[in-house]
Amino acid sequence: MSESAILEVNNLYHTYMEKTPLEYKALAGINLQVKKGECVAVIGHTGSGKSTLIQHFNGLMRPQRGEVLVDGQNLSDPKLDVKALRRKVGLVFQNPEDQIFEKLIGDDIAYGPLKMGLPLKEVRDRVKWAMELVGLSFEELKDRVTYALSGGQKRKVALAGVLALKPEILVLDEPTAGLDPFSRQELLDRIALLNKQEKMTVIFVSHNMEEVAYLAQRIYVLADGKNLIDGTPREIFGNTEILRRHHIAAPQTVEILAHLKQRGYSVDLKAFERESAAKEIVSILQPFRR
Amino acid sequence: MAGFEFELSRNITIGQYLPTGSLVHRLDPRVKLLSFTILVIAMAICDTYVGNIIALAFAICLFYISRIPISYGLSGVKPAIPFILILAVLQLMFYNKVASGGTVLVDHGFILITSDSIRLVIVSALRFIEIIFLSSVLTLSTSTTQITHGIESLLRPLKYVKFPVHEFALIITIAIRFVPTFAMEMEKMMKAQASRGAEFGTGAWWRIIQRTKDVFPIIIPLFNVAMARAEDLVLAMEARCYTPGNERSIYTKYKAQNKDYIAILFCILFASLLLLFPFPY
Repeated sequence: MSESAILEVNNLYHTYMEKTPLEYKALAGINLQVKKGECVAVIGHTGSGKSTLIQHFNGLMRPQRGEVLVDGQNLSDPKLDVKALRRKVGLVFQNPEDQIFEKLIGDDIAYGPLKMGLPLKEVRDRVKWAMELVGLSFEELKDRVTYALSGGQKRKVALAGVLALKPEILVLDEPTAGLDPFSRQELLDRIALLNKQEKMTVIFVSHNMEEVAYLAQRIYVLADGKNLIDGTPREIFGNTEILRRHHIAAPQTVEILAHLKQRGYSVDLKAFERESAAKEIVSILQPFRR
Repeated sequence: MAGFEFELSRNITIGQYLPTGSLVHRLDPRVKLLSFTILVIAMAICDTYVGNIIALAFAICLFYISRIPISYGLSGVKPAIPFILILAVLQLMFYNKVASGGTVLVDHGFILITSDSIRLVIVSALRFIEIIFLSSVLTLSTSTTQITHGIESLLRPLKYVKFPVHEFALIITIAIRFVPTFAMEMEKMMKAQASRGAEFGTGAWWRIIQRTKDVFPIIIPLFNVAMARAEDLVLAMEARCYTPGNERSIYTKYKAQNKDYIAILFCILFASLLLLFPFPY
């Protein structure tokens, strides 16, 4: 195990419906390493194996071939304490608001901690902590009914339900899919906060390159069950060659900069973060001022 | 079987269709449904060892003809094993009045086991397996749309006694169509709840209340999802101008061909063999 990697995947394979005519190879030799405190994005087209991969992180699926190590624990170990693992790795599924089942918001978030057998006082503290982390007022909302919430708020409740387990690693499957732009940005900011302030390791799957560029420190690109390439957003989005070769969609800013470059303006293609891109554009406009 | 605890959909063979393009797949669905009914009736009546072994062999042959792996049939039998066993015990204990013929093997208090009751037990188990195999072949080789069209067209004469044939067929299609969908939905829900500490089926079996409570986190969201899906379905149907009770023309017309006549003739002959031939055992 390499140093300081909290999560490591070595040559992982998974085949659905193995040995039947409907056999489908979802993972075909994935390698991945995530360091403690990192925020990593996993991108790839539909069917590239992203969802299958992240279900290996908290033991919902066990490796068929290859290995998955979480904090030094091998997930192939039959004696593994799965409950402890799932507390350590919090997995938030796509459309997590579907999983809300209690009548009151507070009760639903308390489900995980209660299942852990924590004392009531501790459960209450955790619910409060989790709700405030996602930006829901504990006093105001804990006794509200769950079905009267908006989509964005429901998703926050579901996220809080996982956070209440105090995971060290937070894994999110398309966290902002189907949200309106405002809720989307708010949720992204909350996830960034969890990563920076609470020092949580965050791994997320996304199809939205704007949010990948905004959140991720490192990106893994998956295709056909294999990882093609990984690197920082600047290394991936800033390299037109890589983008073209692997058919990766890029954030709008990258495309704007590329167009400007084509027209002969001297811009730095790697400076695609919103602020840096704005500076590049302003620097082009500079001579025209007055 | 580590890692398969949540893979529900692989255990559900109802509504699964396995296109292999075999002869059985290409038969007219009406013919398949009729043959299926005839064969099931014959198997249910035939009560000899030899007859049932022949019927079982026939069912296994069907898997080969339709090029479907026999493992599909076996995975259908697996969940039925407890029922078969319970049924066997009950028959052994209480059916001695009905099957009192043959030689007495055990006569101990109220337990009376005769060679006839043994035969009843074994034959019922064989019948069970035969019928499961047969229905597996039917559903695996016939898509759900074909099955409904077949049912609708076979039931059409009932229209004259004001039986809502089309609605009935539609209900069946929707029900069958959504079995795998809900299995997947449930799988996802189990995984999501397990991710936040839920456990299923781990408590001792006598703690019924606890174990019932354990399924609330799955059942309640599943209900919500089902309702939402039903609403979507209604919208989708209305958007295509579905009006209940309207006269509707049919897109697929079935016309029986020679192979269909041969198939049904063969099934009738086989069924009469099972019913009429005096098998020695």
